[in-house]
Amino acid sequence: MMAALEFLRLQAPIVTLALLFGGAALALVIPHGRVSWTIGIVSALAALIASTQLSWAFIVSGDAMAAYGFLALDGAGAFAAPLVAVLAFLALLAEAPTLADRPERAQPYAIALHLAGAGAWIGALLARDLIGVVVCASAGWLAIAGLTALPAQRGAINGALRMTMAGGAGAAFMLLGAGMIGYATGSGDVSGATNALIGAPMTATLGFVFILAPLMLMAGAAPLHAWTGPAYGRSDAVLGLSIASVGAVAVIARLSAVAATAPAVAEGVSIALVCVGVASVLIGSVQAVGAVNVRRLVAYASAAQVGCILLAVALESPAGLAAALVQLVAFGAGAFALLAGMLASKDSTLAALDGMGRRAPIAGVAITIGALSFMGAPLTLGFLGRWRLIEAGVGAGWWWATGAAVITSLAAVFYGGRLIERLYFRRVTETSVFDADPWRFARVPVLAAAVLVIACGLSPGWLLDLAARAAALALGIGA
Amino acid sequence: MSAGLIAHGLLLAASLVLVFGGAATAFAGANALKRIGGVIASLTGALVGLAALGAGSSVLIAAVAIAFAYCAVGVSLLVRLQESYGGIETPAIDCVDLVDEPAEPRA
Repeated sequence: MMAALEFLRLQAPIVTLALLFGGAALALVIPHGRVSWTIGIVSALAALIASTQLSWAFIVSGDAMAAYGFLALDGAGAFAAPLVAVLAFLALLAEAPTLADRPERAQPYAIALHLAGAGAWIGALLARDLIGVVVCASAGWLAIAGLTALPAQRGAINGALRMTMAGGAGAAFMLLGAGMIGYATGSGDVSGATNALIGAPMTATLGFVFILAPLMLMAGAAPLHAWTGPAYGRSDAVLGLSIASVGAVAVIARLSAVAATAPAVAEGVSIALVCVGVASVLIGSVQAVGAVNVRRLVAYASAAQVGCILLAVALESPAGLAAALVQLVAFGAGAFALLAGMLASKDSTLAALDGMGRRAPIAGVAITIGALSFMGAPLTLGFLGRWRLIEAGVGAGWWWATGAAVITSLAAVFYGGRLIERLYFRRVTETSVFDADPWRFARVPVLAAAVLVIACGLSPGWLLDLAARAAALALGIGA
Repeated sequence: MSAGLIAHGLLLAASLVLVFGGAATAFAGANALKRIGGVIASLTGALVGLAALGAGSSVLIAAVAIAFAYCAVGVSLLVRLQESYGGIETPAIDCVDLVDEPAEPRA
């Protein structure tokens, strides 16, 4: 028994993927929605434990778990894999009340697509080859697009079509980029850019940009975020979309860390990240301020948050990458808290928030804390991420990065404040229709978890330490 | 310059044209079918580019698999669009969605 457990511990990356994809296959063949959901929850929980184990062993204990055939661990991948697994588990938990709203035939598909999407994004984080990253990112994107198309509302199909078209064009660029990097470095490995002498630096730089740009699109960074409005605004599978965003940003951090270690391409990649990062902060903030649908508001606010993460990644320093990883956790938890809180209402307009703080107090608290984290309010994880970005930016002489962080926070104070004002300072209106399904209580641990993660801002030492170690490992410095 | 190098350069140029042209159609095509055609053209361009860059057979197979997956999902969405909206013209679909989405009521 102990030997079997030890074997599983050593094979944690493969076990994580096997649990998610195996769970997806099993959930798919069982025609009963609730049974599929139970299988999905068990698989996602087991995968969460396995991914946490691999992350802990690689980052903290320093175990030599660097290579497993088609998988290879690095700091950013090991840090982000458990985060994606947590989001997948919580998204499935929150799926319980909405499951009954779906046609019976579609219920197992929804569970399977959640698991397959999370598994594919974790695969992209752990893949050894660049082509493996592209295949896994495409699979994860298609799974989440399929999930988006499942609801009965027809608007969701239009959102899924936009996602599929954007992802398809993006996949073509990513494939070409992987080919260019392989041609320039003579290696198809993700770490190839570090180890090999780059014979054609321009080709390699273009290859990295061709891979990173579609990932930015998938992360919802402006101005590449044309798909986010229809997808977030009209689909019920918004929590699945947050998995895709977090997964894509994490893959960007992983690949950028690799690029940062190769002087021939580092500058070009950094410039590309800065351009999209600044545009994303400005455009996302302006759009979020004008949004009247809360889910769209979260999509646009996410673009601004992703912009800040891209700026931190662009610094290409241990401090910058650590700041990006902390912000990644804050972004994932904040977006999740906001979107999961909104699921308490049948409607997603701003008016639906009126009086929610009193009628659905846990959802109200989740939305409030999510909004405060997006603002970067003190004692939240968002503050920590923003502070780390400013620290790293000033340390590198990028004073203007401070301006980007301040713009993001100021805009978030406006739209976040509007959310909080509606939650607690308005009366319930006719549009405030709250979910009365008894399964809604399955969301309580989801909301509590989101609140708890954001509350890490109260005692952030362990997270900062973990992010610093992961960043050092990703940049090949060693913890 | 040898004929091989010229052919190599031409292949790469053709692949870039296909990738960029296909992507432009995928984002701005007048109907969903044209957009799917754009995605397929773009992925075909990537396949040609990979072959020109000397990618291995496993990479080419992976690229074909990705193209097939996007094509399959795109066509299934096309069928659902036709069933739900009665058409596949994207401007018309966007207009219907704008009508469907309720304006924010004043509190």
